[in-house]
Amino acid sequence: MSTPDGAAPARLRVLTAVVEDHPGVLTRVAGMIRRRGFNIQGLSVGPTDESGRSRMTLTVDAGHAEVDQVQKQLDRLIEVIAVEDLTETPKLSRELALVKLAVSGPRRDRAVAEVDRFGGRVVDVGAAHVIVEVSGEFDRVESFLEALRPYGMVDIARSGPVAMSKEVRQP
Amino acid sequence: MTGAEIVLEALEREGVDVIFGYPGGANLPIYQQLPRHPKLRHVLVRHEQGAAHMADGYARACGRPGVVFATSGPGALNLVTGLCTAYMDSVPMVAITGQQNTTLVGRDAFQESDVIGCSMPVTKHNYMVTRVQDLPRVIKEAFHIATTGRPGPVLIDVCKDVQQASCEPVWPQRVDLPGYRPAFEPDLSRVEEAAALLTEAERPVMLAGHGVILSGGEEELTALAEKSVTPTGTTLLGIGAFPVRHPLSLHMTGFMGTGWNLKAVQNADLLMMVGMRVDDRVTAKLSEWAPNAKTFIHVDIDASEMGKNVRPHLEIVADARTALRRILPHVRTPAPERRRPWLTQIDRWREEHPLKYARSNGHLQPQDVMIEMYRRCEDDAIVVADVGQNQIWAALWWNYTRPGLFINSGGAGTMGFALPAAIGARIARPDRAVWCVAGEGGFVMTAQELSVAVKNRVDVKIVLLNNFSLGMVRQFQDDFYGGVRSEVDLTEMPDFVKLADAYGLPGLRVESADQMGEAFDFAERTPGPVLIDFRIDPDANVYPIVPLGKGLNDFTELPDEYA
Repeated sequence: MSTPDGAAPARLRVLTAVVEDHPGVLTRVAGMIRRRGFNIQGLSVGPTDESGRSRMTLTVDAGHAEVDQVQKQLDRLIEVIAVEDLTETPKLSRELALVKLAVSGPRRDRAVAEVDRFGGRVVDVGAAHVIVEVSGEFDRVESFLEALRPYGMVDIARSGPVAMSKEVRQP
Repeated sequence: MTGAEIVLEALEREGVDVIFGYPGGANLPIYQQLPRHPKLRHVLVRHEQGAAHMADGYARACGRPGVVFATSGPGALNLVTGLCTAYMDSVPMVAITGQQNTTLVGRDAFQESDVIGCSMPVTKHNYMVTRVQDLPRVIKEAFHIATTGRPGPVLIDVCKDVQQASCEPVWPQRVDLPGYRPAFEPDLSRVEEAAALLTEAERPVMLAGHGVILSGGEEELTALAEKSVTPTGTTLLGIGAFPVRHPLSLHMTGFMGTGWNLKAVQNADLLMMVGMRVDDRVTAKLSEWAPNAKTFIHVDIDASEMGKNVRPHLEIVADARTALRRILPHVRTPAPERRRPWLTQIDRWREEHPLKYARSNGHLQPQDVMIEMYRRCEDDAIVVADVGQNQIWAALWWNYTRPGLFINSGGAGTMGFALPAAIGARIARPDRAVWCVAGEGGFVMTAQELSVAVKNRVDVKIVLLNNFSLGMVRQFQDDFYGGVRSEVDLTEMPDFVKLADAYGLPGLRVESADQMGEAFDFAERTPGPVLIDFRIDPDANVYPIVPLGKGLNDFTELPDEYA
């Protein structure tokens, strides 16, 4: 696989797979990725609009393998219905992060100002804490967490990315 | 109908005639129904690994899927090596294992094991059945998956209470697997391009793998080789896809391939690889493989093989036979003077690097045993080899003319494969002579299956190439590890003649070349299994061989002083 400008393709692949919603499908995908020497950096699974089918979004390091092997090996699995490698495709990628800050008083106001600056939201407020959320591409979430780090960050929950191609294919 | 009855009925509907298996607590309901299905012949093995290899040998000999039964826990786990062997070599097989009751799964019940988890990386697909009404669909899908596309083993784990539960079965007419669409037809423009490249090449070489045999493409391969005047070799598993005696034959490739094959591969300007994985045993050091090839064409039914090891210039994802058949009409036969230099050069390499062995040191040579066997055998005798030196001797010193005559564990390299696989092959093809060639090390790993041969009067002739050591490892230690012999000595082994006697079959010992004829005469005129313990040269080696870690150019041959 080569990119249009001839540069080495990215080792980190972003893929989306529609799979049958059977017990053990995640084990098959995860097991294959380990066995082939790849490494999962991010993974999210959710239902699709069709019953019995789920969509997985995976960020996978191809390891020592040729990068197109990730898609091809996924495609070999019987319960994987369709796989797209979105790495070189115009796409939207979103990750959700929930952050719990142990902060009150004037420092809380400054923290909330940071949250606003990133387009995040305050979703829960207590006497000694506040929970905020942000969604965005990986880098944006990273910057958000970096900006909040001085404000007593006590817990983080991140979803892993979901991704979608911007291309519209005619049926 | 109970689940157990559905399983057996489904197997009959799939045309199964033989099952290799072993009963136990978790598949008892199925075994209780078995006597009511006289069309299903059951072969009781002595160890479940034997069942898997028998089913494997059966499938390779006749092309139909092999079927295995085993119980839960250790019974099923004993199949894992056999499943892996079949998976690595793309052999169609369906294994049906018993499992604990659905209500006990996950509670570490007696003889419960995670067979699905354990077999996942060594099967093409697997199923755990927890509802009786799913059985007809699952079994139909399993046979479909095992036998289509790139074949492989499929395991079905059936909970015991599912075997006992009842339902009115609904037999599906077709399978619905939206994620499974094996490639079949090649892309036409690529077919035309392949034909043009093959015609234009100056020094083309074709290599054929197991995919040519699995697709039944040997005639198409020969036709293409002849029309395009392309020297053609095979992989170890591709042996039989191209007649060894054909004028364009390069015989076997790879790190124990023939000298003229390796020379041709290393000097080819175009390499067309058909139905093969291009694995490390074919390429040896990958960066030094086929350095003069300007064009690689790769034909394989499995898209993931494209670029997995070698990045081809032209990828043709298709059934090998169909692809070869489509390419053929687009090929133009080159003018004789265009190919003559290349063919002349290959003939010269064939003369300069013939297969050689040590003939005159007073010991019985394994190659002499193979040559004598070949001389006596009909052209359609089946040879089932084990793993190690015996495997390579059986591969190289025999002129295989057709597919299905040489059976061995190529990808997994499973010692102990030969005896049970030979039993399976003979059960599949009772019309053909079946010879089992094994070293004494691998033989004792599954020797208990001799009972199966005796009990069922399976006519396999066992040629034990006994060199009192783990010969291939010993050769590696001698040649590549400074001669330090470590744990390869097998002088303490059973007396194989007495062992044969204990199992109830005739056994003979041959210690010199002049005893060979009599022993083969006896084996040939004696119905049923016979074992011959050939005491061969303990220092006999496999040549040519590429030193571990080196490229094909560095192949070494029998030192002249031994020739």
